[in-house]
Amino acid sequence: MESLLIPFQYEYMVKAIWVSALIGGVCGLLSCFVTLKGWSLMGDALSHAVVPGVALAVLLGLPFAAGAFFAGLLAALGMGFIKSRTSLREDAVIGVVFTTFFAAGLFLISVKPSGVSLRSIILGNILGISNADIRQVAAISAMTLAVLALLWRDLVLFCFDPQQARALGLRTSVLHFTLLTLIAATAVASLQTVGACLVVATLVTPGATAYLLTDRFGRMMLIAGGIGAGTGAVGAWLSYFLNGSTGGCIVVLQTLLFLAAFVFAPRHGWLAQRLRRSTGTAGIPA
Amino acid sequence: MNWTTPFQYEFMQTALGVAALVGAVCAVFSCFLVLKGWSLLGDAISHAVLPGIVLAYLAGLPLALGAFASGLLCAVGTGFIKSHSRVKEDTVMGVVFTGLFALGLVLFTKVESDQHLNHILFGSLLGLPRAQVLQTVGIGSLTLLLTLALRQDLLLYCFDPGHARSVGLSPRRLNYLMLTLLALTIVTSLQAVGVILVVAMLVTPGCVGFLLADRFPTMMGIAVGTAVFASVAGTYASFFLNASTGACIVLTQSALFVLALIGAPKRGLLAGGRARRRTLQTPNPAPGATV
Repeated sequence: MESLLIPFQYEYMVKAIWVSALIGGVCGLLSCFVTLKGWSLMGDALSHAVVPGVALAVLLGLPFAAGAFFAGLLAALGMGFIKSRTSLREDAVIGVVFTTFFAAGLFLISVKPSGVSLRSIILGNILGISNADIRQVAAISAMTLAVLALLWRDLVLFCFDPQQARALGLRTSVLHFTLLTLIAATAVASLQTVGACLVVATLVTPGATAYLLTDRFGRMMLIAGGIGAGTGAVGAWLSYFLNGSTGGCIVVLQTLLFLAAFVFAPRHGWLAQRLRRSTGTAGIPA
Repeated sequence: MNWTTPFQYEFMQTALGVAALVGAVCAVFSCFLVLKGWSLLGDAISHAVLPGIVLAYLAGLPLALGAFASGLLCAVGTGFIKSHSRVKEDTVMGVVFTGLFALGLVLFTKVESDQHLNHILFGSLLGLPRAQVLQTVGIGSLTLLLTLALRQDLLLYCFDPGHARSVGLSPRRLNYLMLTLLALTIVTSLQAVGVILVVAMLVTPGCVGFLLADRFPTMMGIAVGTAVFASVAGTYASFFLNASTGACIVLTQSALFVLALIGAPKRGLLAGGRARRRTLQTPNPAPGATV
């Protein structure tokens, strides 16, 4: 029993646990919007597209978040521009742009290897996070939470019914861009915990799990935020014992929760559906 | 060191040959992928192969077999969850592939292996052992032949699944066929460009072809030409720049894409601008008027 508490004796573990929980919670909240909008590919794309920004910022001695954020926005703008000017499918445009950005990042790092470790970008490095990086992550989280709190209603309306939002006089293009910006910002924070390849999981899986468990958006956000924060903390804690990648542990936990919800969810789960179908047919008089 | 130096090394000759082959295999399939709108699926399957590779290593099986099985599991699992829940397909795909990738990472850190994670993630074109070269050539040729042999059916499925059904082809079977070929293509290119950049090889050449061509065979020809040129030029450049080979190949492809985007005769930005100016200058004919 006492051995379970060992991680809490190390300062770096305590730090890793609460920072993972914070980032996981913020990403969890945002994941509700991402799943509703069907923006999984966008989340994946932005999380890869920030890599050259990180590499450049570290080379130039700037805060990594600034570079990452800038690169993410540039990628989003590039996608929007190409999509509006060609008849190419959106998913193909996203694919071309984000791989270009990622390749540029990889190129920079391979040419100037002194700047930043590729491994920590790809796989995250929450156990070795510096205090300066924690401050950046905390600032990003606070900003994201503030914007979400302010624009909550507008963003929800925009996700459920963009037409209605426009009819009510909301500027949907601004909301669209705000949401993209928030995703880019949280992708930057999430990069620290789980790494570029798994950011998309933290931006999708909690929302998808919550969507199976409830029909009300407010509750969905609560559940998703809770799942994000919980898996962040438990995953970081667990990785101490498994001696494994922290990001991997966090995301495996999230996936297990999703699978559990998929099978056992009270109304929208697989078992519930099967049960309903069998009792439904039995209830019809022959 | 002059411009012929790379060709004097055997590892560079091998790398150039393998890169060209992988480029061609991916480019042929990318035409179908771009038309069908399956970019995310390509991204998903290429990440999902990781646990398969680790497990195959543990079991002493060929890594390609594990990668293939794990990639298919991702596709089939996504299909199953999507058809049995109310979650959107792209979300399910995101959940499934990141789950598999994360599992692969956790397994990888637990298992002592001689496989270097960086090689799986980013490829190791310049250091391919002979056995892997043979494997890549074998799987690559097989995939290329299969894709080309079945191109009529695939094309019909991409453009018009309804019509495919009416001429007696089962869309279900075509769907699985296309998934299998996608997984095979990804397995082919893993060794060369790595898990993360495979999706570029699977999307960009098709997009270049799409921008430049009006007919499918032309699109495919342009895509293959783009990919083979980018593979060879990228590998060649990486020798002098001392940079990641995969990144150089993908950046060359992207440069060609940007050129096509700007200068494509009908669909390029310049052509689009000309067309817009023309429509502005010539007054619109009244509706119904014959010009």
